[in-house]
Amino acid sequence: MQQEKTLTFAFMDPPFESEQTVTFFRLLDEAINLHAHVRVFAYEGAAALSFSLQSQHGNAVHGRNTEEEAHPLTKDWIQALQNKAARNNLSFEWINCGLCVDERGVNEAIPGCGRGGPADLWRYAAESFNTLTIGTQ
Amino acid sequence: MEHFFFIQSREPLTDNRATADYELINNLAAAGNQVTVMLVQNGVIPARRGSIIKSFDKLCDGKAWILADPFSLAQRQIASDELKAGIESSALDRAVKAMLAGHKVIWH
Repeated sequence: MQQEKTLTFAFMDPPFESEQTVTFFRLLDEAINLHAHVRVFAYEGAAALSFSLQSQHGNAVHGRNTEEEAHPLTKDWIQALQNKAARNNLSFEWINCGLCVDERGVNEAIPGCGRGGPADLWRYAAESFNTLTIGTQ
Repeated sequence: MEHFFFIQSREPLTDNRATADYELINNLAAAGNQVTVMLVQNGVIPARRGSIIKSFDKLCDGKAWILADPFSLAQRQIASDELKAGIESSALDRAVKAMLAGHKVIWH
C-alpha cells in the first residue's frame, strides 16, 4: 500500500475578507480527498481562521434570522476538515503564529489548532513532501 | 527540465503584477520546462473568449498548459465553451496532484 504523503500549506488571509480563503480551504479538502496528511501554518490574518468565538448572526436587512442566514464560519470548516481527515486515517495539523494571534486577540482556538511560530513552518516544510505558500494580495 | 504548476489568481485588469506573472510563465516554458497554469478566482477573467488582454493572449500562444477552475468559472458565469482556444476547464485537485507529484507549485 502506498505511503501517504504530507503536504504543508502556509496561509495568511483572514476569515470573511478574501476569496483566497475559500480557495485555500478547497485545496485542503482536495488534499484529504487525495489521501495526503495535511499541515497548515496560519499566520497574519489567517491566525483568526480557527478563533473559537466566531459566531453566526442574522441579517436584518434581508429579514433573515441566524438559522436562515446560515453564515459560514471558518472555525467550522476547519473542524469539518479535521473530522474528514480523521475518518480517512489522515493527520490534520494546524499551527497559528503566536505573535499574529496576540496582535489580534484571537488566542481561543478550537481544539486541534495549536500555537507556534515561524520555526514550526520551517519544520513543517522540511518534513513534508511539498509545501504551498499562499501570499496575500 | 523542471515541472512548474502556477495557481494564477491575479489578472491584469486589477493587478499589474499579472502581466509579469504571464511573462515569467512564458519564459519558463520557452526554456524547456513543463509548465502548467491553473486559473482560479478572478484569474479566469481573461480566459473568456472576447476579452482583450494581449499579455494573456501571448500566454495562450506560448508553450504552457492552461487550465481553468470550473468553480471560479461558474461563479463568473463563464461556460467552458466560452473559453479561449487551448484553455481546458479542470478541477482544482490538479493543483494538489501536482504537489503530490513533487512539482514546484507556486501561487500567484
